[in-house]
Amino acid sequence: METRPRYRTIGGILPMLAYLAMALALFITVFPVYWLAQNSIKLDIDIFAVPPVWFNFSPTLKHYEAAFIGQPFLIYAFNSLIIAMATTIVSLIFGTMAGYALARFQYPGRWRYQISFWMLSTRMMPPIVTIIPLFIFFNFFNLLNTKFAVVVAYTAFNLPFVTWMMKSYFQDLPPELEEAAMVDGDTRWGAFLRIALPLARPGIAATAIFSLILSWNEFLLALILTQTERSMTLPVGISGRVTQYTTHWGEISAAGFLASVPIIVFALLVQKHLVRGLSLGAVKG
Amino acid sequence: MASVTFKNVYKKFGEFVAVADFNVEIRDKEFLVLLGPSGCGKTTTMRMIAGLEEATSGDIYIGTDRVNGLLPKYRDVAMVFQSYALYPHLTVEDNIGYPLKIRKIPLAERKRRIAEVARRVELDSMLSRLPKELSGGQRQRVALARAIVRTPRVFLMDEPLSNLDAKLRTQMRAELKHLQHELQVTTIYVTHDQIEAMTLAHRVAVMNKGMIEQLGTPREIYNNPRTLFVAGFIGSPPMNLIPGEVRDGVFSSGGLQVAGVGRANISPAVLGVRPEDAHAVEVDEADVNLVAPIFAVELTGENTLVSVRLGGQLMTLRADKNFAGQIDQQIGVKIATDRVFLFDGETQDRADF
Repeated sequence: METRPRYRTIGGILPMLAYLAMALALFITVFPVYWLAQNSIKLDIDIFAVPPVWFNFSPTLKHYEAAFIGQPFLIYAFNSLIIAMATTIVSLIFGTMAGYALARFQYPGRWRYQISFWMLSTRMMPPIVTIIPLFIFFNFFNLLNTKFAVVVAYTAFNLPFVTWMMKSYFQDLPPELEEAAMVDGDTRWGAFLRIALPLARPGIAATAIFSLILSWNEFLLALILTQTERSMTLPVGISGRVTQYTTHWGEISAAGFLASVPIIVFALLVQKHLVRGLSLGAVKG
Repeated sequence: MASVTFKNVYKKFGEFVAVADFNVEIRDKEFLVLLGPSGCGKTTTMRMIAGLEEATSGDIYIGTDRVNGLLPKYRDVAMVFQSYALYPHLTVEDNIGYPLKIRKIPLAERKRRIAEVARRVELDSMLSRLPKELSGGQRQRVALARAIVRTPRVFLMDEPLSNLDAKLRTQMRAELKHLQHELQVTTIYVTHDQIEAMTLAHRVAVMNKGMIEQLGTPREIYNNPRTLFVAGFIGSPPMNLIPGEVRDGVFSSGGLQVAGVGRANISPAVLGVRPEDAHAVEVDEADVNLVAPIFAVELTGENTLVSVRLGGQLMTLRADKNFAGQIDQQIGVKIATDRVFLFDGETQDRADF
């Protein structure tokens, strides 16, 4: 006797388990953000209350006032923004061109592989290994405590990733499109700008978010390279509120919460480009 | 408008020789088809004309200009890709107008010419659509329109019909032929479909393993194949190629005997018989070449294809549509001996010249 169901069923236990798993995943990712947000508007006494006060507390903006008026977090945020954007733009300009070159041009022997691998190999050591040479290097050029130095260092670390990501996006595009453009009278450069680049937009968006998050959140290099108010980034500034005698949890929460806002906004802005499939319909019927 | 000339052209990819000692002159206004199986070098040959591949050695001329090393944009050729290669982020109008835009043709003139070719390929109502919103046949016509929107010296077409369904393909074939006649532009067309080659070409170059096996008009190639490869490639259903040997002017293979094939002794030999030159007759008719059981009977509508067992292989004959034989029934086969082809089994060349 056949006991397995022979028809598709709607509802049942499996979809419910799936929703349960999704709810759990959502809770795990969203809870820390919620915790951070509510700590930033709690009085110190409520932050440390045992058992925790979840809802029944009187909200306050005093930590925001302390962080952004009492402390120079506004300037740190500005520094972070400039550094993250400059890094992303510079990495994208060079990484996109390098990725395209690696995806499309002919190299003698195994040089395509060698060059790609060499680029990635710069990321194989822990960044801390490079700290002392970088410090001496920037000190020599009198660039310590400048945003410029941080951008240079971040770009150096981001570029291999950006190049590799863009390379794989360009490899996914059918080469005939650029060939058609060149036969139609365009140069290689024109085919890159007018055909390949617009089609790689989802890839560029994804890579930009990636680079932005990386440089926005970076802590170690910034800690070593920046010590002054006009160069320090948010993560370094926030860590400075852990002092010898006390940890300013409220200020840390307030600054930390606001620090995550730009990334969320940016991700929302570019998410429509993250959807792949623009190149569908290019080739075949 | 120009001729295209290949002189001793070789193309190697590493150790692999894609095109070997290629010599051909494609005349001005000619429709030349490069025909061959996949991997025979026909697409590589076309890409060398477009400038998408560089010849390893030898010279390529468009008109009187030697174009080796010349960037594609300066060659003034237009190409239709097998995949159509439409720009997915541009509308039909911008796709067609792309070659004009690159050449900085003023907008008004551009609009006028786009409208003109769009009307010609019946896309005038689709100009604002994106490629993904079009059917396969419409995409194919956009690709064609993009090629004819300017008047290049040479059209290159790389299997442009292979992604269309059978009915549309037949229709587009006729349209292509008419268009080429009207525009009078030298056209080089790559295909592996021998029917396309036969119907479209002024001349066909049959390619195999990077070399031209035979170059001639479709009629010459059909009536007078010079090698075994060409004989087997052209014709549908394909020519029967029967291995055997010739002794004293008589070809024999299994139960098949064909007298009067010319040369006295060839061994091994291959006899080529087109299905329409082999006839099904009564078993006891005089001078039958073969008596064999029917293997299969296939009605195509206009006639019946009958296959019979001959040694280890099958031989196909084209019979009348009212042919009434049954499977396993013995029939006689009579071959028009003045229309057979004899090949040397070793050199693969024709042996009955």
